[in-house]
Amino acid sequence: MTEKQPTYNEAAQRLEAIVATLERGGLGLDETLKLYEEGAALLKTCQAELVAAEGRLNELRLEDLEQELQTQEAENQN
Amino acid sequence: MTGRGEVTTGPLAVGQFVSMVKRTLSHEPMFQRQAIKGEVSQWKPYASGHTYFTLRDDEGQISAVIWKGRCSIHPSIKEGSEVVVTANLDLYVKRGNIQLVVERIEPVNTLGAMEEARRQLVERLANEGELDRERHQPPFAPKHIAIVTGEGSAALSDMQRLIDNRWPGLRRTVIGVLVQGDRAAEEIVRALALTRRLANPRTAALRGEPPVDLVIVGRGGGSPEDLWAFNLEPVVRAILASPVPVVSAVGHESDLLVSDLVADIRASTPSNAIERSVPIRAELEQWLDETDERLNLATLRTFGDARRQLIALHARLKVAPLAGINSGKRSMLALQSKLNRATEAMFAHERTRIVGLEASLHSIHPQRVLERGYAMTQTADGEVITNASMLTVGQRFNLQFVDGAAEAAVTEIHTTEE
Repeated sequence: MTEKQPTYNEAAQRLEAIVATLERGGLGLDETLKLYEEGAALLKTCQAELVAAEGRLNELRLEDLEQELQTQEAENQN
Repeated sequence: MTGRGEVTTGPLAVGQFVSMVKRTLSHEPMFQRQAIKGEVSQWKPYASGHTYFTLRDDEGQISAVIWKGRCSIHPSIKEGSEVVVTANLDLYVKRGNIQLVVERIEPVNTLGAMEEARRQLVERLANEGELDRERHQPPFAPKHIAIVTGEGSAALSDMQRLIDNRWPGLRRTVIGVLVQGDRAAEEIVRALALTRRLANPRTAALRGEPPVDLVIVGRGGGSPEDLWAFNLEPVVRAILASPVPVVSAVGHESDLLVSDLVADIRASTPSNAIERSVPIRAELEQWLDETDERLNLATLRTFGDARRQLIALHARLKVAPLAGINSGKRSMLALQSKLNRATEAMFAHERTRIVGLEASLHSIHPQRVLERGYAMTQTADGEVITNASMLTVGQRFNLQFVDGAAEAAVTEIHTTEE
């Protein structure tokens, strides 16, 4: 993943445009196929973005998070 | 009013005159239950329990008395305090002194000075162009929300519940702070500094989570004094310093704080902050499913057209003169290979979808089903028996329970008729 991953919204907008183009029809096979592949990849990106939003629920008091970050950053420097 | 006749009949006794003045004063509505603002001077609480003072400003002054137990006196009131009193004008006839008899007294210095500081802050921010700066665009689907709010507050549990309804399991970091009182501003500023660190990709990587991409700072409703931290410059500057979008979510609909003026999104309440920043995941999933289907259908239609074209070409080729055959064949082969590639691509996509489906099926562990009282039947070879027609009378088979297995034999078979 060298190039910047599109955000969910960017991917979804491009996806919508691709589907609309394909639904209008009149494209050659090559072009259809290219768009199809791009669309399929975007779908994957979007699904991955949804999954990526799932994660830990941290609930800490201010000092505790300060302490935690302090420790993590100190450990990283060693 | 007293008639002119009294004056002409001779001089009035002074006491009588002063009493007349007193009566006139006490009948004038302007002088009764009037709210008056001024500074306290010569504040003298007496042993008797009465308190005497002078209410003054640069233009004038008047004596005032608070009779014992008449009203509560805020402990901060002292010499020099700005106060608002509600008082009746009275005249002490024996001495001819006019004085205010105080019914209520409240300090105004705090709120007044605070209002003024707030006004100046807004003016400064306006001059600096911070009020109409370009706002950060909030993420359409945040991956890591930081919430700065009162620890264990009702506002927090409202927000948590709403997030769980809209996007169960959405990653979030809640930083509990004091949201009112003297230390609130300092704590909110420190918490916002932490959100800046959590938004830093390097720190986030250390913690093994995506960087914070949205900050919600707020609290539930309260008196203007309770909400005041959100009008203070350090809090406002900390919001402006955020590298990621900040939602200000303070109090109720009608409360407008300086934090609301500078934030990227002004939410009317904490719940509103969630509604505006967390999409409903099920809706996004539905859209993706529909789009997947539309993508496949539209592509298949084009391929269907191509297939029909291929069949037509094939038919024409059979009856074509020899010269046309080679070029006809070439275009047919080209079309054929494109179709093949397209079909492969679609299969590849479908395969990943199916793999995903399989994975979710696996997550529904058979153990869970067995725990509910079902048993799994298997042949001696371990093949799962899914219908009665797979069995013969006399056949031995295994019954798998949640805590063990049993061997059994078929004595009779009844198949269900459609």
